[in-house]
Amino acid sequence: MDDMKEITQDFLVEAFELIEQIDHDLVELEANPEDLELLNRIFRVAHTVKGSSSFLNFDVLTKLTHHMEDVLNKARKDELKITPDIMDVVLESVDMMKGLLHGIRDHGNDTDVGIEISDICARLIAISEGDEIPTASTPTEPVVTPEPEPAPIAPEPEISDEALSSLSDDEVEAEIERLLKVRKAEDQARRASKGISSPATTSTSAAPKPVSTSKPTTKKDDDGDKKVPAQSGGAVAQEQTIRVEVKRLDHLMNLIGELVLGKNRLLKIYDDVEERYEGEKFLEELNQVVSSLSLVTTDIQLAVMKTRMLPVAKVFNKFPRMIRDLSRELGKQIDLEISGEETELDKSIVEEIGDPLVHIIRNSCDHGIEDPETRRLAGKPEKGTVELKAYNEGNHIVIEIVDDGKGLDAAMLKMKSIEKGIITEREADAMSDKEAFSLIFRPGFSTAAKVTNVSGRGVGMDVVKTNIEKLNGIIDIESEVGKGTIMKLKIPLTLAIIQSLLVGTQEEFYAIPLASVLETVRVPIDDIYTIDGKNVLRLRDEVLSLVRLSDVFGVNKVFDGGDQTYVVIIGVAEAKLGIIVDTLVGQEEIVIKSMGDYLQNIPGIAGATIRGDGRVTLIIDVAAMMEMAKEIKVNIRAEMDAESKNVKEKPSDYKVLIVDDSKMDRTIMQKSLEPTGVTVIEATNGVEALTIIKSGEHSFDAILIDIEMPRMDGYTLAGEIRKYSKYRNLPLIAVTSRTSKTDRLRGVEVGMTEYITKPYSSEYLENVVRKNIKLP
Amino acid sequence: MSNNKLNEVLQKQKQQIQEPIKSSEDIIQLVGFVVGEEEYAIPILNIQEIIKPIEFTRVPSVPDYVLGVFNLRGNVIPLIDLRKRFSLNASKQSASTRYIVMKDEENIAGFVIDRLTEAIRINRNRIDPPPETLVKDKGMIYGIGKRDQNILTILKVEALLKRDF
Repeated sequence: MDDMKEITQDFLVEAFELIEQIDHDLVELEANPEDLELLNRIFRVAHTVKGSSSFLNFDVLTKLTHHMEDVLNKARKDELKITPDIMDVVLESVDMMKGLLHGIRDHGNDTDVGIEISDICARLIAISEGDEIPTASTPTEPVVTPEPEPAPIAPEPEISDEALSSLSDDEVEAEIERLLKVRKAEDQARRASKGISSPATTSTSAAPKPVSTSKPTTKKDDDGDKKVPAQSGGAVAQEQTIRVEVKRLDHLMNLIGELVLGKNRLLKIYDDVEERYEGEKFLEELNQVVSSLSLVTTDIQLAVMKTRMLPVAKVFNKFPRMIRDLSRELGKQIDLEISGEETELDKSIVEEIGDPLVHIIRNSCDHGIEDPETRRLAGKPEKGTVELKAYNEGNHIVIEIVDDGKGLDAAMLKMKSIEKGIITEREADAMSDKEAFSLIFRPGFSTAAKVTNVSGRGVGMDVVKTNIEKLNGIIDIESEVGKGTIMKLKIPLTLAIIQSLLVGTQEEFYAIPLASVLETVRVPIDDIYTIDGKNVLRLRDEVLSLVRLSDVFGVNKVFDGGDQTYVVIIGVAEAKLGIIVDTLVGQEEIVIKSMGDYLQNIPGIAGATIRGDGRVTLIIDVAAMMEMAKEIKVNIRAEMDAESKNVKEKPSDYKVLIVDDSKMDRTIMQKSLEPTGVTVIEATNGVEALTIIKSGEHSFDAILIDIEMPRMDGYTLAGEIRKYSKYRNLPLIAVTSRTSKTDRLRGVEVGMTEYITKPYSSEYLENVVRKNIKLP
Repeated sequence: MSNNKLNEVLQKQKQQIQEPIKSSEDIIQLVGFVVGEEEYAIPILNIQEIIKPIEFTRVPSVPDYVLGVFNLRGNVIPLIDLRKRFSLNASKQSASTRYIVMKDEENIAGFVIDRLTEAIRINRNRIDPPPETLVKDKGMIYGIGKRDQNILTILKVEALLKRDF
C-alpha cells in the first residue's frame, strides 16, 4: 500500500512538472503549427500521463488523456491541422487534466473532484475522427482494439501497426532504436525495483491488469514504453540535482542570519579593539581573521540565497496561455513578448508575485489594449502587444509590464474617483498625473464601463498593491494617453536578510528597509509648508507629504532639531512619503527577528534586529507607517519655528549655564555676568549639566564650562553636547586654569567656542559672553 | 558519641531524601520576589533565567508597562515592568533590580522586579484560591500561599505572558 502511495506521489510530482511546460508549448504550437518538435513534446506529456494514470487505476484521467493523445497523435502525423478551434478544445482538456491531477493530490482518486469528461471526450473524438481525415477509423482502431497479446511484447506490434502508415524509413529506424532502448531501460528498472523492499506489490498490482481487460493492456505498455525512457533519460540529470525540502533551506537561512549578526558584532568589536590597541602586532592578525570571516560569511549568505532562487519563468510561463485565452475572449488581438524570464528570485517571492502579475496583465488586456477596429483607426497595428520584462537592478528585480494600448487618462481617472466618492474634488485638483494613476489601486475603483468576466469588479488592482507592499516592493506607473502604459514593479531579491538604512530620531534608532528608501535629502525647515493641515515638502517638481518619525512613534522629546533637517523619502507600492529624522547613521545589513507573540503586529513595526553593538533596533514597517502618517496632524514648521526662534525681548530671556564644581568659581562667574542681566543656571559637574540640557526645560544661549570636574570633565561634556545637531552652534566657553597649548588644542577639538584662562577679569568674561550670545 | 551524631545525621538525610518522594505531588517550588511592598512568587519551572538589568529598546504604540525589547543572547525578548503592570508607582532601578525571564509553552518575556527573596517550597494544600475581590484583576493571581510568617501572592505566569492590548 505504501509503495503505491509512493508511486502516486512520484507520479504527481512528475505530472505537475510536465503540465507546467505544456501550457506554454501549446500556445506556441498555435503560432507554429508545423513545429514537429513541439508537437512531439506535447504528445509525450499526454502519453506519459495516460500511461502512468492507467497503471495507477485513475480511469477518468486515463480516458481523458487517451482522447487527447489521439488528437495530438494525428496532428503529429500531419493528419490534422491545428486550428484555433481545435486548440480551444485541447486547452480545455488540458485544464481538466490539471483539475483531475489536483483531485488526485487532494483526495487520492480522480472521481471525487466530480469533473465530467464525457463531453470533452466526445468533442475530442469528433476532432480526431472528423473532417478531412478519410482514414479516421484506421488509426483509432489499433488503439481501441489492440492485439490480445501478452503484455511484454505488446508495444512492438502496436507501435508498428500504428506507425506503419506514415513513418518514413528513417523514422522506422529511429523508432526501433528507441524501442530497444526502452526495453533495456525497462529491464533495468525491473531489476532495480526488485531491490526495493516489497517488489511483490508492484508486480502483482501491475500483472493482473493486462490480463483483465484488453484496453488497459495497451496503456500499460505505453506507460512502460514512455515513462521508462523518461526516467532513464533523467537519471543522468538527476545526479546533478537533489530535491531538498524548502523547510530545510529555511532553517539554513535562519542559521545564516545568526551568522550575519555575529559577523556584524565581530566587526564592531574589532573597531573598538583597534582603537584601544593601535599599533599592536596581534591587531594585524585579528584583522585578517575578521575580514576573511566576514568575506566568507557574505559568500555563504549569497550561496544559500542562491539555492532558494527560482527563475521567474516559473511565473511567466502561465501568461502566454492566459493572454491567448483573454484575447479570444475579448475579441482582441494581443501578442505577449516575454524577456528576462531566466532572472532569478527568492522562492517565497516568486510565490507572491504570481497573483499581482495576473491582475496587471489582465488589466492591460482588458482596459489597455483596444479592439482591432479602434487600433486601426488610431493608426496602430491591429495586433496589440504586451511586454513582460524582468531584469536585475542592484539588490532588486524589476518586472515591467508594458502595453501599447490606450494609456491612462489622468483627468478621466480623477473624474471617476470623484464620482465613486473615493476622493474629493479638492484632493483631485491637488493631484499630479502620477498620483492620479495610482488611483487605480484604490479599493472599489474600476474604469471598465461594464463588469466583464476578466475585470471590472474593482478588486484586482487593490490586490496588486497589497501583495507588492507585503514584499516591500515599489510600483511605478508611466503612461501616455494613446501610447500605452508601463508598470514597473521593483521587488527586493530576498526577504530574510535585508539592507537597511539606520536613522536616529531623538535618542532612538530605527532601521528602514533600504528597498523602500528612494533618497535622503537635507532640507532647511523653511522649505516645509503646511497645506490643509498636512506638512509637505517641495522637492524638485514634486510635492511630498512629510511626517516626523518621532511623531509617528511617540518618541520622547529630548532635544530639538536645528534649522536644517534630514528627510528620508520612502516609497511603498505607488505611494511616497518623506520622513523627518534627526540623524542618518548609515547602511547596515540586518536580519529580521520576530518579537514573539507578545509583541506581534505592533503598528508600524515589522520586527527587530540585533545590531553590531548588541542593542536591539526596531525595523519600520513602511507600508503600515504610511497609513499611520495619515492620522498625524502636527504643524511641523510652526513647532520648529517656535523652538528655534524663541523671541527674546529682555536680557533675562537669555539663559547661560555655568558648569563648575567649585562653589566659589560659580559665584565669581555669576557675579561677573550680573551686569548683563541674563538668567544664570548652575550645575556642579558634567553629568548634571548634561541632564539639565537634555531635559529641555531651558534653552541655553551659552554654557560656561570648567574643565576639571568630578564624574564628567569639561572636554567630555563639550563632546556630548556637540553630538546633538541642535547644539552644533551653541557657544561653549571653557573657563579653566589649564593654560598649556595642548589643553587649548584639545578644547578646540571637542568643540569649545572660546577658551578663557583663570584668573580673568569680570569685564573680560562679561564681554566674551555678551559677544557670544549676541546680547544687544 | 560521634558515632551517634553521625547516625543522627545520616538518619536525617535519609528522611530528607524520602520526604520529597512521598509528598512530591503536593509540594510546589516557587521563587519569591518583591515588587513594590508586596511579596509575590511564581513556579520555578516557568523561569528560564534571572538576569541583571541590561539595556532595552523602547517599542512604540504599546501600553506603558511594556518597556520594550532586549537582547538575550541573540533573541529579542519583550520587557515588562511589573510595577507598572500592577499600577504601582514607578521607582528607580536599584542594585537589587532584576529581570526574571519567564516562559510558558508559547511565550517568553522578561519582567522587571525590585528584589529577589528566596526559593520557596510550599505544600499545595496551603495555597488558597484568590479572594473574590482580586479575581477580577485580569486573573493574574493563581492563589494565595499561607506561610508561617507571612502570606504570598502566587502569580499565574500564563496570564502574565498573555497579551491583553
